[in-house]
Amino acid sequence: MQIACRNLHYTYPGADFPVFSNLDWSIEGPGFFSLFGLSGTGKSTLAKLISGELSPGQGEINYPKTRRILYTHNTERIPGWDTVGEHLRSVTPTSKTSLLNHILKDYGIRTYMESRFSGLSMGQKNRINLARYLVQEFDLLIADEVLANVDEPTRNQIIERLKTLFPQKTFLYISHNALEVARFSRTIHVLSHESTASANRIHKTDGLDQEEGTEAPEELVQERVYAILRSAAGTNESRL
Amino acid sequence: MKTLKRLFQFISIYATALGLLWSAKIIYGFSDYLIPPPLEVLQVTIQNGPHYVKAVLNTLAVAIAGHMFAIILATAVGLVGRLNTWPGNLTRTAAYNLQAYPIVAVAPIIFLFLGDGLISRLLIAAMICYFPLLLSFIGILAKPVEEVEHFFRITGRINWRLELSIRTFENLDKIITVIVGSGTMALVGTIIAEFLAATNGIGYIIRKALYQSNLAKILIALFLIGLCSSMYLTFIETIGAWIKTRLYGTRSSPYKQI
Repeated sequence: MQIACRNLHYTYPGADFPVFSNLDWSIEGPGFFSLFGLSGTGKSTLAKLISGELSPGQGEINYPKTRRILYTHNTERIPGWDTVGEHLRSVTPTSKTSLLNHILKDYGIRTYMESRFSGLSMGQKNRINLARYLVQEFDLLIADEVLANVDEPTRNQIIERLKTLFPQKTFLYISHNALEVARFSRTIHVLSHESTASANRIHKTDGLDQEEGTEAPEELVQERVYAILRSAAGTNESRL
Repeated sequence: MKTLKRLFQFISIYATALGLLWSAKIIYGFSDYLIPPPLEVLQVTIQNGPHYVKAVLNTLAVAIAGHMFAIILATAVGLVGRLNTWPGNLTRTAAYNLQAYPIVAVAPIIFLFLGDGLISRLLIAAMICYFPLLLSFIGILAKPVEEVEHFFRITGRINWRLELSIRTFENLDKIITVIVGSGTMALVGTIIAEFLAATNGIGYIIRKALYQSNLAKILIALFLIGLCSSMYLTFIETIGAWIKTRLYGTRSSPYKQI
């Protein structure tokens, strides 16, 4: 799936400065992509613009209208009247029941099926929220800090499994963790901390696209991490 | 247990107030005509007790009916007022402007047009507790619970019933508090209506006692009003707690039926 933004402009109501101005950006899936940047650079705003949660002031976002984009973030909750199991079963299409069972097992959620969402830890909540999105129909899933509260080994396992389970889907993973995005992403789109007026504010850096059962060399990971951090700080020379 | 606690609290306050009144009578030497002695209050209670109990129950029945009517009306209008369309905007603007007007001032007009019967009392009771309910309901129903609603909206599952269920569930404590608070107002509204022009209820008894300058009768009426009010509020709180327990423990989701 291809998605392209042209001349995108967005200012929050009441704000003095735009978050984006004349932004040109695109990704072409399938694959696991990341959106990285320091706090306040506009990662979630871009995600909301792409998913239609926000409307751009100017410019256009193009993608085939038959494709479905979902956006999820880490503060989402399930309704309090249901247990986790009741909710997951009720929002899973019948054709995806088997996939749900796989995900429940792989993500270690099965033991919480009789629990109330409010009684779980933040990490458990993150996993349950991601699981319910994965069993929906989608072409692009924008996952905004969705695993922010999950411990690192579990998070790595979840991302690897996700890539194995959904090779034909496109993921845009928003994270503050440079190591994680360097290791697992095909391409990292880095929102730099510089003037919003720049059309090329998003720099692309190749990731290592680590798959399940493989291990990227540590030196390579470190090299990519530095490249990402340099881009984020706006000191990278090579812009794509 | 809660009922007993509330009743005990009321009786303690009432007994303290009576004690202060009689202390003032002794200290300043007020006449029996102005502040009746305990024995006179007891005699009036024995003579008029059953009649006053009937009157206060009559008032309570009208207050409950008016309160229920106001809750239903506020829910219905709140559903329209939560919309971002012109009927919603119009409803919100009208509600915010009308609530600023003291409804008691309209009461004489209601008596003029509808007479001094049940309908007038019911209408005034409902009107007095309606606007606080409406404003709260509009506020609650119009405000999205983003962290819960987002999933249903982006996956195309959201509809007005689900939206209503989520917002009601998430604000249940607030809704119950508002309903309990407006219960007192319904009782106040009914008593005001009876005091102004009706020919029934405890408000009417107080009006007659006032004309007779009989403080003993007024004290008994106040005691019965306090008792009824405490019991009614506890009853609403108990219903609220029961609803919460049921909802938190329910096995059926509103969106499953859609």
